Amino acid sequence: MFVDLNIKGKDLESNINMANEAIKLGWQQLNFSYSQNDYKKSLEFKEDLEDKLDIPIDFTLEIDSNNPNEIRKIVKKYRKNCNCISVVGGNLKVNRAVCEDIQIDILSRPYLKRYDAGMNHVLAKLAYDNNIAVELSFKDILNSYLSNRAKILANWKEIYTLYRKFEFPFIISSHAESVFDLRSVRDIQAFLISTGLKEEEISKMMDYPKDIIEYNKNRENLIFKGVKVVSQ
Amino acid sequence: MKLKVLPSTLRKNNRYLTVDIKVKGNIDKNELVALVWDGCIRYWGEVETSNFNLWVMKFYEQEKTNEYNSYKSIIRCQRGYEDKVRAAYCCINKFNNKRIAISVIGSSGTIKSSIERYI
Repeated sequence: MFVDLNIKGKDLESNINMANEAIKLGWQQLNFSYSQNDYKKSLEFKEDLEDKLDIPIDFTLEIDSNNPNEIRKIVKKYRKNCNCISVVGGNLKVNRAVCEDIQIDILSRPYLKRYDAGMNHVLAKLAYDNNIAVELSFKDILNSYLSNRAKILANWKEIYTLYRKFEFPFIISSHAESVFDLRSVRDIQAFLISTGLKEEEISKMMDYPKDIIEYNKNRENLIFKGVKVVSQ
Repeated sequence: MKLKVLPSTLRKNNRYLTVDIKVKGNIDKNELVALVWDGCIRYWGEVETSNFNLWVMKFYEQEKTNEYNSYKSIIRCQRGYEDKVRAAYCCINKFNNKRIAISVIGSSGTIKSSIERYI
């Protein structure tokens, strides 16, 4: 199942347009992302959106902050209402705080605005222990060119080597803001192969977003890590 | 004088990619040809692109909306290099200052079958 966990959400109509285009391109589930300021408003039209589209739809809370304490507060506030919480990385303190917090699902773009990958073996191990998925954004490649694009690809490759060693959850999403940023599933797979990933690694990458959503739907039944209520 | 056609065993095997093009503005076939070559050379370089055997076979105008104009095209490439061509096209973002998105809908062995299936 091909799930895009991060399409930039806007109003109801543009979300429907984007979703229809994405369905044509082979995506089977979509998550529209909203920042901490817009998330509450977006919940108002979530049901309408679900009714108007044939595929499963959900919302992702994308937290963008440089303050680890603020991130912790926002996560605590929204965890029960949200099936997917992603934090934009780039700042080393943020990257570390996210990898340590089991309540967060995704560390998005740890390499953002940096000259390195933003991850090392310590963070990779923490991400594996706490089940934090590291997310690459296709938009970063699309909106850059020449040396910038090469540098971002170099950062991606550094993350690939850490992924092969530590096997933390690893995903890719489009971060599409308009129809022009959407690509078909096969195109994204072909692109990832060209950057040096193997086919098995890519299929794992494509499967993992669904697991995140399913895990979070059952979060109410979890007592603590590894123990959940099956029936009462 | 025309060269004699190569025997089938010596000919290159081709695949035909049907692509969907969305542009903010208009685009014609000549611009698409430039775009197809430019995208591959940018991403793979001159040496690797020389293997692709690219050729724009057909170009169709589809629909025009306020947001974008949509076109379809059939592009020839050498068998075995389809994924590399796909990867190059999915990285194309702008051409002549126009926003553009190219996504490959499908690939087939003949032009006829690609028209029947995808256009």
